[in-house]
Amino acid sequence: MNRETRLRARFQDPLKIPARVLRKLYSEWLRLTYPFAGIGSKVSFHFTCKIDRKNAHRIKLGNDIRMEKDSSLGLSLPTEQEGDPVIIIEDNCVIHWRSQIGAKNLIHIERDVLIAQDVLIVDQNHAYENVHTPICDQGFTEGGRIRIGQGTFIAHGAAIICSQGDLVLGRNCVVAAHSVVTRSAPPYSVLYGNPARIIRQYDPAKQEWVTGPVRAPQAEPVA
Amino acid sequence: MPSGQPFEDPLNLVPRILRKLYSTWVTLTYPFASRGGNLSLHWSCLLSRRIAPRIEIGNSVVIRNDAWFNVLPEAIEGVNIRIGDNCLIGAQDVISAKNLIDIEQDVIIGTSVLIQDHNHAYEDVRRPIREQGPMPGGTVRIGAGSWIGHGASIVCNQQELVIGRNSVVAANALVTRSFPPYSVIVGNPARLARQYDPERGLWVGATGRPAVTAEVS
Repeated sequence: MNRETRLRARFQDPLKIPARVLRKLYSEWLRLTYPFAGIGSKVSFHFTCKIDRKNAHRIKLGNDIRMEKDSSLGLSLPTEQEGDPVIIIEDNCVIHWRSQIGAKNLIHIERDVLIAQDVLIVDQNHAYENVHTPICDQGFTEGGRIRIGQGTFIAHGAAIICSQGDLVLGRNCVVAAHSVVTRSAPPYSVLYGNPARIIRQYDPAKQEWVTGPVRAPQAEPVA
Repeated sequence: MPSGQPFEDPLNLVPRILRKLYSTWVTLTYPFASRGGNLSLHWSCLLSRRIAPRIEIGNSVVIRNDAWFNVLPEAIEGVNIRIGDNCLIGAQDVISAKNLIDIEQDVIIGTSVLIQDHNHAYEDVRRPIREQGPMPGGTVRIGAGSWIGHGASIVCNQQELVIGRNSVVAANALVTRSFPPYSVIVGNPARLARQYDPERGLWVGATGRPAVTAEVS
């Protein structure tokens, strides 16, 4: 779609203009008043996005990021604690409707990542080992760190959960709809199912896509 | 939409009126390929006017909040989304078409359901998947009187995906192939859990024995 058709589509229904203006204003408001660790240009937030201002200094955002309706960037950290960013989102990412990112240690999303609707990415979980207390009072587990490689596509309803250690998805991975990913995957993998397994992978030696895994997932550090 | 007691809570009148007004606005001003009467469309739905000529909507269709209708710019000419009479599209549903998604009459679609007849191409390892565009894709048809449970996904990457009439797709199932009429489909990837045997006139399990368990849905 070229620029002109896009512009025409933008103003086809005049009733849609208020929402667009609100979105623009809210994005500017966030940029001006939230103490982000970094924020690039052309970052667009829908006005129903959930971002904590008291933890915004641990979030770093690149250019051209689009956060859609009801998506959220959450941090389960004591507020106003100084430190390195725990959510890093690089350029050109899209986070679609109702997707949630919940970080405690580090979630690093590289450039050009496409996150569809209802996706959950968390690097910790609720602790439940104490049988005498309700789980809601037990806080969170130690958790791990997550890195999602550039150019990856995460489909509708997928969950990426890292309870411990490092979880690294290589570049240009595909996570199929409703998969639950708990382990690392090498670059150019198609992950599918619950728990997710690799059903297709690109073989650089043969230069083609093959069924099943061709390489063992190597342990890669997140940062 | 509760139709029984419209004045039970006077505060509910505001969203009802908004919904009514928005439905009227869309009905009157959007150039649908064809459209029946009595459309109810929530104002938070994402249905752009650009794609309205690609959509056919039957009579008495109800579309709940945050549903998203998408027709790709690469889509083939003609009608790409067809919704039959008396359908209910639940909250937060995504219907994304490139070729044809045909939802027959009297289908109930639960919340957070995904229906798409294409997928993102990923074969080129040198470019980000975002820039690779869609696969050729196939077509999806959902038979009359079916019921799709919460969070189910129906994804057709190639050829034709048909869910027969009066089928049940259970919650969070991931359907990637066709199923015959009167099936109960569960799981990820989806499998047949129960089926109606018209010769014996009863519901049988996937093994062919009469089902004795409770209804799945």
